[in-house]
Amino acid sequence: MRDVAIIGVGMIPFGRRDEDTLLDMLAYASLKALDDAGLGDKSVDCVYVANMGAGILQHQTSVASALVDRLSLIPAAADAVENGPASGASAIKNGLLAVASGYYDTALVAGGEKMREVVGWKATDFVATMTHPEAEYPYGITLPGMAGMFTRLYMEKYGVTREQLLAIAIKNQKMGALNPYAHVEMVITKEGIYDSPDAVVNNPVAADPLHLYDMCPVSDGAAAVVLCPLELAKKIAPKSPVLIAGFGQATDTHTLQERDDPTDLKAVTLASQQAFEMAKLKPKDIDVAELHDAFTILEIAESEHAGFFKKGEGGKAAEKGETSIGGKLPINLSGGLKARGHPVGATGVAQIVDIVFQLRHELDKKRQAKNAKNGFTINFGGFGNNIVAFVLRRVE
Amino acid sequence: MMEELGITAYKCKKCGRVHYPFHDRCLSCKSREFETIKPEGAAKLLAYTQIFNLPWGFDVRFLIIGVVEFKNGVKAMGQIKADSLDKLKTGMKMKATWEPIRVQAGEDIYGLKLASIK
Repeated sequence: MRDVAIIGVGMIPFGRRDEDTLLDMLAYASLKALDDAGLGDKSVDCVYVANMGAGILQHQTSVASALVDRLSLIPAAADAVENGPASGASAIKNGLLAVASGYYDTALVAGGEKMREVVGWKATDFVATMTHPEAEYPYGITLPGMAGMFTRLYMEKYGVTREQLLAIAIKNQKMGALNPYAHVEMVITKEGIYDSPDAVVNNPVAADPLHLYDMCPVSDGAAAVVLCPLELAKKIAPKSPVLIAGFGQATDTHTLQERDDPTDLKAVTLASQQAFEMAKLKPKDIDVAELHDAFTILEIAESEHAGFFKKGEGGKAAEKGETSIGGKLPINLSGGLKARGHPVGATGVAQIVDIVFQLRHELDKKRQAKNAKNGFTINFGGFGNNIVAFVLRRVE
Repeated sequence: MMEELGITAYKCKKCGRVHYPFHDRCLSCKSREFETIKPEGAAKLLAYTQIFNLPWGFDVRFLIIGVVEFKNGVKAMGQIKADSLDKLKTGMKMKATWEPIRVQAGEDIYGLKLASIK
């Protein structure tokens, strides 16, 4: 297997993009990535497109075929990848393996989702289609609802507090306000969402015990990366290549109820361990991480299950600022899903783009992790039933 | 005697693990031989939440949803009949019934309904 590097990245601002179709967004992000890789007027061997819901939301299928046509990348091999909210990282994994195997030399991986053109209940229903069709979906359970049940159990078992969840929301929205690609660019305060009479109105319960500001927004957006073998990258990449040093993927039961301990995110642990083992690194070697904070509790739980903190310590670390910029392990300096937004098919790719920005040391100092060499991501599918983790390394 | 609940669970004939919903192979031992069983005994509340942003198909302000474990090991999700979470607690005993849980295409869809035992 060959070492594979990321030589180009591209992203468009997330948010409500009424003027763009899904294909517009995928194309814009892809063109930025191709330009960034110095391949603006060239082709690639293969294309992977991450998307979860075009078949439902846009009544459109075969988005990978549509994208290669739109970008005039024909006759590149093209596949769409659907793995729920982990579609993005799954697509990158497919691109990685295609290039690492030696079969292809260049891969474009794009992820995109257009969720804001439907009303809220339709978007909620669309996301809920990943729950079990017999044992869960008919009851009206939603992903926020699953997160609510998980949060209560996690609080009961590990003593996670509302204040710790607030610390995640406040930190990530503060970082989102500094990120030009973020959907939510609004700083929030503890007083505004917790400590005042207005907080009841500003921050109502959404899925008890989670409140509105514990949730990521529903977003439109797209992101893309270009991959090639590391040795080729050293010759052709106009910017510092970033090595995909390790990846891992693991699954768990479809329903939360069939797990021996519903608070144990085994797939997160396994995927992370695989990624660290492949990279020959340990959690302490990571300088910056993008975790899948679709709900504030997930940033805490993933930081513990990935091995950065002991169980029950992740929330305390966030509260003490250890996961803020300048802290022991800065997490979600992009604002995370909480502020960057969560166009489901795009998220896993966007996480990688943000870590590449960090490892290339391209960001404003307010958002740049100092001397970042190793980055880590978790893309969380279903409610923890399909997890993809990556370790990325700066190539000097 | 508990009224008939429309849930069929699957007990592995080899290792005894109880599955709901169905799996083609046992999650523990990979056996393909199952005995079908029905939920039996008191239901214990394992997890619950109240959700306000509902998906398509519900004409109510909120839903309270929980997961229970029956005495014979069957675990299942259900809608909880309550006005708020005030009287709910993890571990409490619940009474389970089979009632309409939503309407689709003008027809009632039946499922597990749960209520606290007073």
